[in-house]
Amino acid sequence: MSVISKSVPINTKATTQCSTDMFTRIVKFSPRFLLALLILPVLGGLISVLLPAFGYAPVLEQTTFSLQGFNALWQTPGLTQMVTLSVATGLISTLLAFIITLMILAAFFNSPWLNRIQRLLSPILVIPHAAAAIAVGFLIAPSGMISRLASPWLSSWELAPNGMFPHDSFGISIILGLTLKELPFLLLMALGVLAQPELGKKLRQQHKVALNLGYCPMTAFFKVILPSLYPLLRLPLLAVLAYASASVEMPLILGPNTPPTLAVAIMHWFNDVDLNLRIKASAGALLQLAVTGGLLALWLGAEKAVKVLFSDSLTNGVREYGGFYWQKITVVLTTLVISFILLSLIGLVMWSVAGFWRFPDAMPEQFTLLHFKSALMQMSSPLFNTLAIGLVTTLFAIILTLLCLESEQLSDKPISRFTSLIIYLPLLVPSIAFLFGLVWIQQLVNNQAAFFNVVLTHLLFVLPYVFLSLASSYRRLDPRFAHVAASLGAAPCKVFFKVKLPQLFAPILIAAALGLAISFGQYLPTLLAGGGRIATITTEAVTLANGASRRTSAVYAIMQMALPLIGFILAWVLPKHFFKSARA
Amino acid sequence: MQSSLQIKNCQLYRQNELLLSLNEQVNGGEILTIMGPSGSGKSSLLNWLTGTLPSSFKANGEVWLNGQNIDNTPPHLRHIGVLYQDALLFSHLTVAGNIAFAMPKGNKKQRLEKIEHALEQVGLKDMGNRHPDNLSGGQQARVALLRMLLSEPKAILLDEPFSKLDTQLRVDTRELVFSQIRDHKLPAIMVTHDHSDADAASGKLITLNSVL
Repeated sequence: MSVISKSVPINTKATTQCSTDMFTRIVKFSPRFLLALLILPVLGGLISVLLPAFGYAPVLEQTTFSLQGFNALWQTPGLTQMVTLSVATGLISTLLAFIITLMILAAFFNSPWLNRIQRLLSPILVIPHAAAAIAVGFLIAPSGMISRLASPWLSSWELAPNGMFPHDSFGISIILGLTLKELPFLLLMALGVLAQPELGKKLRQQHKVALNLGYCPMTAFFKVILPSLYPLLRLPLLAVLAYASASVEMPLILGPNTPPTLAVAIMHWFNDVDLNLRIKASAGALLQLAVTGGLLALWLGAEKAVKVLFSDSLTNGVREYGGFYWQKITVVLTTLVISFILLSLIGLVMWSVAGFWRFPDAMPEQFTLLHFKSALMQMSSPLFNTLAIGLVTTLFAIILTLLCLESEQLSDKPISRFTSLIIYLPLLVPSIAFLFGLVWIQQLVNNQAAFFNVVLTHLLFVLPYVFLSLASSYRRLDPRFAHVAASLGAAPCKVFFKVKLPQLFAPILIAAALGLAISFGQYLPTLLAGGGRIATITTEAVTLANGASRRTSAVYAIMQMALPLIGFILAWVLPKHFFKSARA
Repeated sequence: MQSSLQIKNCQLYRQNELLLSLNEQVNGGEILTIMGPSGSGKSSLLNWLTGTLPSSFKANGEVWLNGQNIDNTPPHLRHIGVLYQDALLFSHLTVAGNIAFAMPKGNKKQRLEKIEHALEQVGLKDMGNRHPDNLSGGQQARVALLRMLLSEPKAILLDEPFSKLDTQLRVDTRELVFSQIRDHKLPAIMVTHDHSDADAASGKLITLNSVL
């Protein structure tokens, strides 16, 4: 009897010791796994584009290095226009979104309107680029909402005119679409910085000091808040710039065709039936890399120049630069942005249920659910793919992120600067430049597992967002809870599952909703990694946007918006429900 | 004309609950001390004077600065300087930059000379190019004082400005602040928890009761 009772505790002790080690080992290993998972595909993809670009492509029976890809690229008619279009749309839209963000922040810094604007704009964040492009396209089309609202009383158009929008050769439609989409992202990133407890409080107090010293509120923002805020906005800004200069969804739906932006042209070459065009496409991918890299360098250079140019005026004592008028301009601009967004969404919904809709009428004559019914009938397989890919990717991303953040706490030092920069890597390197190389590798390794390939590729884009979303809440956890639990004898793995995770329930759900939204919205990665065999709502929506009826296209765009929205609503409602039942 | 800060029939409410009523005039060089427990409305009174009262509070009454009603003047045009318990120096600027930020615009060279002179006066000679985060608490407090004074305010509010300094530093800094207020003949209102602050101010003392 006594022997048994003695041996039992020893046994349990031995097993917990073992499982602790296992857990700790997995946790300690996870950051390296995360790094590998992000670096290898991006680097591997880049190399697999680099080799064919210089003529080395065993698949095409080309094994000598040459510059034929580049020669073919330089001889492409309209190449200069393509590059110019990419550079101009990327740079102008990022700059516009950034400037309007700053103006909104400066004009409403201490006003309750800032929160209202935030609430109005934050749902835009979950709208995939493709859906946003479709909605904006509807708004500015010759028979779109704007032209309808202005006709015939203002424009005297009785019939839809021959307008230049969308698809205008100057890229104005692309710029409009990108600006409207990136503005809420930048604004929410900035507000996220200001919501950090310590930094935000310090900045608000310093703003107050500047007001007491006689500074007009807008001047105070630019001279006091911006210098501290900008360094924290730099990476999101660069990510926006990199994306805007190399994305395909917006230019595909809103941009011109003759010639398109560089990224869209590269995509067409890669997908051409003539496989030899792939060498030219690879060379093009390198050019895209140079274009985006150049833009990022230009931005960083301009940042330095602005800093030098304006460092004197920070302390020159000038308190007022026509703040009254800037305030008015900002109010008008903000109203314009919000009404543009609202109008395009309203237009989208109306098209999806419109029966007969004569031109200058602002409303359809009949409403019908027919388009929804017929679209939903064909949607089941894309819908299933979208959800399955999203759920698997997000689940994996969340587990990995949690393990990495836990390793940060176990080893008691924050993740290195290198790692936190690498997390941004897939957001900074144009996806068109490495995705094709990655697909080649995936096809070499396993030709059949299209689903697995898509999940792996989505993970590259989902992980950064999930990580960024969870990191702040995880790091804000009061470490004393873990200390108390440890002092009560709980092993690290028990502390993790029983103490930390329950406290993080709500942030984890938000991160999951974000991860799902990012995965749902991926167009190029799905198309390429799936080899065209895996259709999701987003790939279908982009395909339909340039051909099929406006009504079907509207239904797909609405589905694209509804899915992430449902995710966020669940993430918002579930914690309330759970905590309610816990209390009862 | 002698400068003065006048509070006429001020009644401060937090959600319809009366926190304090006040009717005071502070003349140039005088320091009015207001003491009271937390939640008695001391800081809200200062917010009301600077025109930044949060919307959860309501206030009646008028503020007159040097014979002018400033009730409807926006905060940044009131010319009321405030010292907080934190120095709140701008960390993207140097010490000299912080002070230059506060000074009225003008000739660059003259401004720099003025800053150097002012730093020297408070024992911070040649520290203009230092970064404010590398200064000690007492040094930061002195820079904050210079920043506020060189903005040429017409009145000064002190929001527990010495509470984060240790005893000896507190006495020295307090003496410096009070002597500057008297030299510049500025009306000042100080909010504090500490009786020694009130004694040193040697002006009128108002003690607020806690609201139950």
